[in-house]
Amino acid sequence: MADIIDWIKRTLFAGTDTRLSPEELQASFKTRYVHFRALLTANNNALEAMAEMEQALQSGQTFSMAFVRSRSTQVLVNVYKMIQHMIAMSDGRHHQLKPLYEKISSQVDGVINKMPRLHSGKWIVPLAEINRTMAGQVGEKMANLGEVAGLAGVETPPGFVITVSASSHFLTANKLQPEIRRIMQMLDRDNLAEVNEASATIRNLITDSTLPADLEEKIHAAYAELEKKTHPGITVALRSSATGEDLAGASFAGQYHTELNVDKESLGRIYKEIVASKYTSRALLYRLQRGYRNRDIDMCVGCLPMVDAAVSGVIYTRDPADSASCYVTLSVVRGTALKVVEGTGKTDLFHVSRQIPHRVLQHDIANKKSGSIEGIEQPDILTKEQAKEITRIALILENHFGNPQDIEWSIDKQDRTIILQSRPMVAAVAARDLDASSVKPESEGSVLLRGSVTASPGVAWGPVFMVRSSEDMLQFPKGAILVVEHPLPEWAPLLTRATALIGETGSIAGHLATVSREFGIPAIFGVDNALKKLGNNQIITVDGDNRLIHSGKLENLLVRASQKPDLMANSPVQSLLRDLLQHITPLNLTDPNSPFFKSAYCETLHDITRFCHEKAVIEMFSFGKDKHFDKHAAKRLISDVPLDWWVVDLSDGFREGVNVKDKTIHIDNIVSAPMNAILTGIYTFPWAGPPAVCVKGLGSILFRSTMQPGLDPAVGTPLTVKNYFLISSNYCNLSVRLGYHFAMIEAFLSDLLTESYVSFTFKGGAADTKRRIGRIELLSEILQQFDFRIEKKGDTLMARVEKRPIEFLEQRLKVLGYLVQHTRQIDMVMNNQASVNQYRKKFMTELTTMLSQEKMTT
Amino acid sequence: MNIDQKILIVDDETDFTETMAKIFSRRGIAVDTANSCLEALAKMEADPFAVIIMDVSMPGVDGIQCLKKIKQQWPLSEVIILTGHACVNSGIEGMKGGAFDYCLKPIDSNELLEKIELACEKVRISCD
Repeated sequence: MADIIDWIKRTLFAGTDTRLSPEELQASFKTRYVHFRALLTANNNALEAMAEMEQALQSGQTFSMAFVRSRSTQVLVNVYKMIQHMIAMSDGRHHQLKPLYEKISSQVDGVINKMPRLHSGKWIVPLAEINRTMAGQVGEKMANLGEVAGLAGVETPPGFVITVSASSHFLTANKLQPEIRRIMQMLDRDNLAEVNEASATIRNLITDSTLPADLEEKIHAAYAELEKKTHPGITVALRSSATGEDLAGASFAGQYHTELNVDKESLGRIYKEIVASKYTSRALLYRLQRGYRNRDIDMCVGCLPMVDAAVSGVIYTRDPADSASCYVTLSVVRGTALKVVEGTGKTDLFHVSRQIPHRVLQHDIANKKSGSIEGIEQPDILTKEQAKEITRIALILENHFGNPQDIEWSIDKQDRTIILQSRPMVAAVAARDLDASSVKPESEGSVLLRGSVTASPGVAWGPVFMVRSSEDMLQFPKGAILVVEHPLPEWAPLLTRATALIGETGSIAGHLATVSREFGIPAIFGVDNALKKLGNNQIITVDGDNRLIHSGKLENLLVRASQKPDLMANSPVQSLLRDLLQHITPLNLTDPNSPFFKSAYCETLHDITRFCHEKAVIEMFSFGKDKHFDKHAAKRLISDVPLDWWVVDLSDGFREGVNVKDKTIHIDNIVSAPMNAILTGIYTFPWAGPPAVCVKGLGSILFRSTMQPGLDPAVGTPLTVKNYFLISSNYCNLSVRLGYHFAMIEAFLSDLLTESYVSFTFKGGAADTKRRIGRIELLSEILQQFDFRIEKKGDTLMARVEKRPIEFLEQRLKVLGYLVQHTRQIDMVMNNQASVNQYRKKFMTELTTMLSQEKMTT
Repeated sequence: MNIDQKILIVDDETDFTETMAKIFSRRGIAVDTANSCLEALAKMEADPFAVIIMDVSMPGVDGIQCLKKIKQQWPLSEVIILTGHACVNSGIEGMKGGAFDYCLKPIDSNELLEKIELACEKVRISCD
C-alpha cells in the first residue's frame, strides 16, 4: 500500500524535480551515488559472511558459537547498513524494510540466545527410582545405571544422584554463571595455554565457593540413608554424570572427573570438584570439537558405595575395531577399573564368544600375546565361569539398550559381578572400503616397532612428537603423531591436532582409545620403549590394523587412511546454525520481473539484500531519466558494429570532454575499467552463431515462447527492454537479455579489497528445463575453475568472487564477458553430452588463450 | 592509502591501544589513544577527531553509550566499533546508534585501515 502511495506521489509531483538546478541535481545525484557505493560494499560483506556460514555447515569442519555469533552479527550489521542506504538514496521510500528487518533480526536473536530451560526438580534422587527417561535430570551415566538396576539378574550398587537442579542451585547461589560466561566469551580456544588458564580460573571459582547449607544437608542425609543400607562410615565413589551427552552420539569418554574412596568428610569438597570438572581444558576443547556449548551440558554427580573389587574391567559387547565381530572383548585388571580407563595399567585382554556357552577364544596376558585358543590352562586373573557370567550380563544390557555397549564392571570378594556403568560403544569410524587384512603389511624391512593393541584402526603418517608433560602439550604441532608413555585422558585435547597416537601402555578400553576411534585417528598401544626408540620429527607411518610402526611415509599403506568423521554432525551448535540459516540464507526473491519481487515477500536477510540491490540499481539507472538530467541519462553505445546497448554514466565513466547532451556515446570514450574488461571478453573471439539444433530442440523453444510471452525479448518491463551498462570509472553493472536468457555482471574494482568484487547472475533460456540446467551446470563448472563461488537455484545461477586485487578481478570480468557472448543459445544442445564436452573444451581453450594473450601484452 | 585525518583509538586495554597506535603511526597516520570513554570525550572536546575506533566492553561508560554521546555532539565524526566478542544485539544497537561499522577483533590491520579510509571518505563528503 505504501508503495502505491509513494508511486502516486512520485508520478503526480514528478514535476517538482525538474525545477532543481543542474548544480542541485548534480549534488543530489552525487549523494545517491555515495549511498549506492556503500550499499554495494555492505552487500558484499553480508553475502561473504552468509557464504562462510553455509560453507561451515556443509564442510563438516568444526566451528564454534563464537563463529556463529560473529558471522550473524556481520550479516545483520551489513543488512542494516543496506537498508539505511536504500532509504537514503530513494528519498525515504522503502522504509517498510525496517519493520521487516526488526522481525527477522529478532528471529535470529531468538535462535542464538535461546535461554536454557530452568531446573526445578529434586536435588537428590535414589538410584532405585531412576530410569533412562530421567537423563535430563540425573545425567546420562546415572540414567543408564538406574535403568540397568531395574533389570532382572543384573546387580548394581545402591546409591543416589545429586541432580542438575542441585548443581544449578549451587552455581546460582554463588552467582557464578555470569562470571564463567564472561571468561568463556573472552577466551581464544585455539590457544591451549590460554584455555588452561581459563579452565583453572573457572574451576577455582567453583571449588572455592561455598556449598549452600540446604544442599549440603540433603547430600549428608542421603549419605546417612546409604550408611543404613550398607554399614556406617562407608566410603563412596563420586562419579560425574553430565546431561546432554547423548544428543549427537558423542562419547565424552574421560572428559570429567570421578573420585574413588571418598569419605563422609570429603563429600562436599569432592562434589564441588566434580561439578568444576565440566570446565577442564580437555572437556572445553572436546565440546568445542563436537559442537556443544557449555550451556548444553549440566553436571550431576552419582554417589555409589565403593565395591570391594577383586578384579575389574571394561567389556565391549563387540570388537570396537570390527563391529561385526562374533566375540566380546574384556579388558581386565586386579582391583578397580581405574587403570583400564586411564590407560596407565597393563591389562589382560579376553575375547569371549557371543554364542552360548560363551567360550574364551583368546586371552592376552597383560599385553603379552599368548596366541592361545580354547584349551589353555586356567587364566589366573579371571575364571572361565567369571568371563562367561560377565558376557552373559553384558549381552542382556546390549539387548536392552539395543546397541553394542561399553560396560564397566567389578567382581567383589564375594564373587558378585557388579555393573558400574553402561553406555553405547564407540566403534571405529565407518567401515573402510578395503579389508585391512587384504592389504599386505609393508615389507618387514621398514618396520620400526610393534605394538600389542589396536586401540583404533586405520593408517596415518607424520612426524613424531613426544609428550611427557603439560608443557610439551603446548608445543604440539598440528599433523604430528602423538607418542606417550601412558595414554591418559588429559592428552585428549591433542587428538584434535594429531594424525595418530602411540602409547607404551594402555588398552582398547581406555578413554583415550575411545576418543581416538571417535575422532578417526589410528592408535597403537602396548608399544614397548616407544619413547626411547623414536625421535622427535622422525617421519613414520602408523598401521593401526596390523599394530606396526614403519619408518618413512608409505603411500601404499595410506590407501587405508580412514575418512575423518563429521564430528559436528547433529550437535547442538550445528543444529543451531541450521535453524539460524533458515532466517538468513534462503533466497525467495530470485526474479526481479516476478510480481512477487516485493519487500513484503522478503522472508530472509538474503531476500532483503537481493531486494535492496535490485532497487538501488534501478534508482541509479532511472535518476537521469526521471529527473530529466542529461548528464546521467542513458546513452546509446556506438561502435563499429551496430548495437542495441545503452550506457548510464554514474561518475567519471566517460572520457573527459564528452558532450553530456549527446544521445550516444562511442565505445572509445568509455573509461570504465570493469566495462572495458567485459567488452574485451565479449569481442576477443567472434560469436560462432547459434548452434545447429535438431528439429525436436527447436520445437521445445517455440513451445516455451508461446507459453510465456514474457520470453519474447521485444516485450518486457521498462528496465529490461534495453541491455544497459551502469558505469563509473571503477564500477560496472551490465544487464543483458541475449536471446531468451537474462544475465547480469556487476563489479566494483577498488584499491580497497573490502569493496572489490565481481558478481554474475544468469537465468533462463529458451530450451526445456533439463537443457537450461545443463547450461547452468556447464557455466558453473567453468566459473569454479576461475575461483567463483557458485549458488544455483532452479535455472538461476549466481556466482561471486570478492576481496581480490583489481587485475585478478579484471580477468574474471573478461571470462564473464566471453561466457555471456558465447553461451548464447547453447542451451538448445545441452541434452547432448558430446556437444557439452565440445563446448567445454572450446570455452576452456579460448579462455586460456585470451587470458594468456592479455598477460603477454601487459 | 588515503587517511589524511586524525584517528582516535578508544580501548581500556593499554596493550591494544599502544600496538594499534604503533601500527598506524608507522603508516604515517596521525593517531591518539584514550583508555576510557571519559578520556575520549575530553580529547574530542579539546580537538575533535574525524574517525574514532571504539571498543565495546569498557569499565564505566561502555563503547555503545560512548558512541551515542560522540554522535550526538560531533555528528560529522565517524565511529568504527571494534569488539572482542560479537553480540548480535550490540551490533544492531551500535548501527542504530550511528556507528560507521561494527568489526570484530582480531582484525587484519589492512582490513581495518580500509574501513578507516572509507570512514574518512565519508567524513570528507559530509564536510563538503
